[in-house]
Amino acid sequence: MTTDTMTRPSLAQLESTAIWLALLMLAIGLHIFESALPSLGPWFKPGLANIITLLALDLIGPGAAATLAVGRVVIGSFFIGTLFTPTFVISLSGALAATFVMLLAWRVLPAVSLVGISLLGALAHMGAQFVVVEHLFIKQDALYYALPPLLLLSSATGWINGALAAYMSPRLKS
Amino acid sequence: MATLTAQHPSRQSLRALLAGTWADRVLLLLAVVAIVFSWQWIQAEIGAGPPMVSVYHDDMLLAVYPLPERGNSIRFQAEGDIGISEVVIDEHGVHMASSPCTSQRCVLSGTHRHAGDIIACVPNHILVSIRGQSSPEHAAFDALAE
Repeated sequence: MTTDTMTRPSLAQLESTAIWLALLMLAIGLHIFESALPSLGPWFKPGLANIITLLALDLIGPGAAATLAVGRVVIGSFFIGTLFTPTFVISLSGALAATFVMLLAWRVLPAVSLVGISLLGALAHMGAQFVVVEHLFIKQDALYYALPPLLLLSSATGWINGALAAYMSPRLKS
Repeated sequence: MATLTAQHPSRQSLRALLAGTWADRVLLLLAVVAIVFSWQWIQAEIGAGPPMVSVYHDDMLLAVYPLPERGNSIRFQAEGDIGISEVVIDEHGVHMASSPCTSQRCVLSGTHRHAGDIIACVPNHILVSIRGQSSPEHAAFDALAE
């Protein structure tokens, strides 16, 4: 009885887990929604699910944001039928790179808001996808011809997504 | 836990948030300058000469074709890792007519005609790229298409 009471999570921990799970469900939903959107170019998506990673970063912390990003890609890919396909590998590499860069920026660039963090995440996401495709699938430098215009699009969507996350975060806290 | 909302007064309007902080704007400026510079550099590298279409399987160059004159077309079957991707090159540009992949994103990406455009079939490891400047004839078609 005493041991059970000691190992029981606190209310704050339970609340944190509940928020993480709710955000994970939202992220998976957005991941699936994005996969149904018409493609604007090779591997280009607006990155709406990254809004949820940013919210997790701001509301719960870096560890929760990282696990949410990985969980979202794995579970979302399972539902859309791309688990362990090249699409999954590309998507996971992009999500991991974006999360790593966003967590790094969060720690070392205190003057940068969620908007700037999202911008860096979007650029890392797109860049990592190209590097992974070039190294694992199409071993051809010509692939990078298409990278600059897609990076410009990523800058725009990353900026907007960051502003949306910064808009939602204080409203979710209260 | 340090939160970034400390840097933003709570409940700012979306318009104010879209403006970003000064640090965000510096990051955006640096990113845009770097991207535009690299884009210009790539265009300078690949934009010279007549328009040519290259088809690759991984790092192997399978074929190089010029964009044909009006009325002509070329069909090329590129053998990749999971089957044959059919590439069609005509006066409008280049497109993937068929592919053995399940997603068919390469087929759905449509016709490409500008230097730097690519069509990639990742599962089949096939890449089609365009180099060189469009001729006035092709430029006229671009204008009509757009």
